[in-house]
Amino acid sequence: MENQTASLCNCCYNAFNDEDIFCNSCGYPLQGTQQEQDTHIVIRANKEIDIAELNGKVASARNSLYWIGGIIGVWAVITYFVSPDADEAFSLLITNVILVGAFLSFGVWSKSKPTTALISGLALYLIVQILNAIVSPMSIFSGIIMKVIIIAYLIKGIKAVLEIDKLKKELNIN
Amino acid sequence: MEQEHLSYNVCNNCHNNVPITNKFCSKCGLAQNHVEVGIYQKKWPNIQQIALFFVIEIICCIVPLLVEEKSLTTLYFVDLIMGFSAALFFINDWSENKVILKWPGFSILKLLGLIVGTILASVVVTFLVDNLNQFVFKKEVEYYSIFSFHKYGVYIMFCSIALYPAIFEELAYRGYLMQKLLTIVDEKEAIYISSILFFFIHFSLISVFWLLPFALFLGWLRIKTKTLWYGVFVHFFFNLTACFLDLYPLKEIFKLVY
Repeated sequence: MENQTASLCNCCYNAFNDEDIFCNSCGYPLQGTQQEQDTHIVIRANKEIDIAELNGKVASARNSLYWIGGIIGVWAVITYFVSPDADEAFSLLITNVILVGAFLSFGVWSKSKPTTALISGLALYLIVQILNAIVSPMSIFSGIIMKVIIIAYLIKGIKAVLEIDKLKKELNIN
Repeated sequence: MEQEHLSYNVCNNCHNNVPITNKFCSKCGLAQNHVEVGIYQKKWPNIQQIALFFVIEIICCIVPLLVEEKSLTTLYFVDLIMGFSAALFFINDWSENKVILKWPGFSILKLLGLIVGTILASVVVTFLVDNLNQFVFKKEVEYYSIFSFHKYGVYIMFCSIALYPAIFEELAYRGYLMQKLLTIVDEKEAIYISSILFFFIHFSLISVFWLLPFALFLGWLRIKTKTLWYGVFVHFFFNLTACFLDLYPLKEIFKLVY
């Protein structure tokens, strides 16, 4: 008990009663051995570090969405000016503008609704790639490493969002 | 005196009374949200199941694009696979999903109101989509041309475009997918994701202006009414009106009237 100061938990600094065996805010073993208390703090700190790392993965997935939007945007401008058929160029431009808008919107949206935005972004990216491959089968191999990296980032991002939620629940952080 | 107003939960581990404001049991240290934590463990496998479902949907939708000679046989084969897949995924979680096949608080007035609203909305959307397609893609959308050669082409079109999607798309997207998503995200996000995926699977980006709002409405309706059936009727009458307007275009109806 000498570890406690002014009845505040050593781990989360919330108040506790003298008869409490565990902190009711973080589960810290108030009357446990030094080893038990240290273990609790280390596990909790590790989970907080994990959350920070996972947030980085979500940020990478978000950046992937911005990159996709940017690449399609550049591509849209180039194809609009080089396409010989004005009607086809216009319909392609409209389609690409919607795509750019969608990916950038998903990127911004991923700050408030990461699960929805990343799942939607990944689904749209896969569908665009599949449809491109149907129109021009060889297009699937162009920039394949980049495509795989983007898909991997998005999948890792979705997994990270779920993992963050789980860790927050385990830590009982709202 | 303050203690008397507190509500308590009983700790599952040591049966100690734990005030609901406490996150951990002060006697045994058990987290009071351990059931929720358990639910979180299942989220990733559920996402994987959704991914499998969606990949099957994509494959079924791209098959007609890969077949050079499109025929009704191809169309029905793909429809059959998609319907079978939707039913299979739905039945796989039967105990959780069967509840939405019930129709609690059935109201004929609400149903009729929805049907009338849907028909009007479909007329407006068909008019706008026709003009939008002519403006952007310089082409008209026709449904009947694929079925016109057949003796019963009109009936086959109504079944293929109105009846079949109303049942199986609702079963797949507002049924299986929505129920699965509700185990991962909240209601709002489940509506968003199911609607966005429903919109994507139609492979028509230009339809973002009407298909996405339509899907959002169907998703909202499904959550609000806790049944699949209002959505099935709305979907059916929306597509049925579009089919009808394909056979009798608005321009011709206007000519007849005026």
